[in-house]
Amino acid sequence: MRERVVTVGDQLPLVGVLCEPNSDQMSDSKTAVILLNSGVIHRVGSCRLSVIVARALAERAGMTSFRFDFSGIGDSEARRGTLTANQSAVDEVQEVMDYLENWRQFDRFILYGLCSGAFAAYRTALADRRVIGTVQLDGYCYTTWKSQMMHYSPRLLSLTRWGGFFLRKLGLRKVKKGAEVSGIDDQFFEVPDFANYPPKEEVVKGLQMLNDRRLNMLYVFLGNEHYKYRKQFQECFNSVAFGNNLHVIHRPQASHILSEPVDREVISQEIATWVYQTALSTNAALPRTNRRHNHVP
Amino acid sequence: MEAFYFGPSESYLFGVFHPREGVNRNEAVLLCNPFGQEYLRAHKSIRRLAINLAKLGYPVLRFDYRGTGDSAGDLSGVSAEHWVEDIGHAIQELMDMAAVTRVALIGLRLGALLAAKASQKDDRISRLVMWDPIISGAGYVDGIRSVITGAESSGSRSRLQTPDGTLHFNGFCLPPLFQETISSWGLDDIAPTKSVPIAQIVSHESDTFAHLRTSLSDSPGFYYELAPAPHDWNYVDHVGGILWPKPVVDAIERYFAQAPNL
Repeated sequence: MRERVVTVGDQLPLVGVLCEPNSDQMSDSKTAVILLNSGVIHRVGSCRLSVIVARALAERAGMTSFRFDFSGIGDSEARRGTLTANQSAVDEVQEVMDYLENWRQFDRFILYGLCSGAFAAYRTALADRRVIGTVQLDGYCYTTWKSQMMHYSPRLLSLTRWGGFFLRKLGLRKVKKGAEVSGIDDQFFEVPDFANYPPKEEVVKGLQMLNDRRLNMLYVFLGNEHYKYRKQFQECFNSVAFGNNLHVIHRPQASHILSEPVDREVISQEIATWVYQTALSTNAALPRTNRRHNHVP
Repeated sequence: MEAFYFGPSESYLFGVFHPREGVNRNEAVLLCNPFGQEYLRAHKSIRRLAINLAKLGYPVLRFDYRGTGDSAGDLSGVSAEHWVEDIGHAIQELMDMAAVTRVALIGLRLGALLAAKASQKDDRISRLVMWDPIISGAGYVDGIRSVITGAESSGSRSRLQTPDGTLHFNGFCLPPLFQETISSWGLDDIAPTKSVPIAQIVSHESDTFAHLRTSLSDSPGFYYELAPAPHDWNYVDHVGGILWPKPVVDAIERYFAQAPNL
């Protein structure tokens, strides 16, 4: 495995690290994985997860990856413009894809992201057909009747919860927000500029479009209070006829930031395996003349 | 700025060099990160400090210790001595890139203790700036242990891992060898032996900071400033917010702006 710093763009470049397998272990010279920022954490990722995933991809799957900072995050300087962070994220991923295509002839991409990174991966996949797969950790999903039952039932039976509810209603207990929770004044705390969750109908439509394109999708849902059971994603989007292009992992004991080493190890291994198989199957589906040598590392 | 890898091939280090602008000072600045979640949350502050010091005429290098950030490996088998070695590699790289003969070290939290240790036998170092320094390595490790233990009742999964003694704290591992080496170091022993100017710049007051200030007050060129600002680098919210304690960053810049050109 070998890593090198790469900057993309002449003016106010995007800064990233290309992580490549040894040449004799390269599985697919046409597909690269691009790892996106989560919120305002720089490209190493939450608890260094992006570095761990990148190295697992190179060493276990023989895949090249590029982890970089969006403009205004980490080591990439802010760029002037009128685009929102959501809009510029798609543009910048496409700029990176163009660069890797021109420089190293990668013409297929798998996008990886956690939380806001997952949202950016999804939106870029909608905008660009070079994206053949997405790996989304805690990507868009909505509650179902079952998840609501699982969420609210224990609360309905909890005297403490009812006590808290009445105290709040009577104005005897205040709900803390922002600086009241953190104890840190807003001016000294930078939070991501997340757009609101889109309406569910919009995501259904987007997923339908991606599914029609047979985009490969790996969704990983971690321990969060709104994702309650393994099949929630499929039931939430049951109007979309997913085939074997969808794989969902639910790891409820893991925290949203993957704070435990064992969770990071398991998830990075799962991702490396899925990416390898996705690249392999995409290659196999191509006409024989377009195939590239694949080597199981 | 220029980002690159440097150092030994088996433990390569990620660095970002900020060339000087304007005034041509014959002194460079090396920034020494804190540990773990603190490193992740301090990236913006460290970067902004580097950019602003470069504008004051100082060439600046910031880098990731081995096993952290974009640098090689993980923390298995890493000791605090290794990180001090990494500081040595970074000093040499910075001197080569900036063509200077003297390097000032700025360390945040654990980075201050490591910087002090690195400066103990290194005559290339021109000054030492300690930002909210960890005074005692043993106290630091004990503090992590007690936070982990105290948080167990609230469902935290940070834990003391007994089989090999690794501490798992807030998403990062502190291996036994690191704990062992850092636990024998303390600023009380190291800092007063330094002959270079020392600055202690803090975001809040504490007994340990006051004690250190007292012990250093007679040192030639000692500088102290309290710049009140938030300082909980381990605070993790659900959207991944990061701390931006501008007043203390500004205070460090003021100190360097007033420093005489070597």
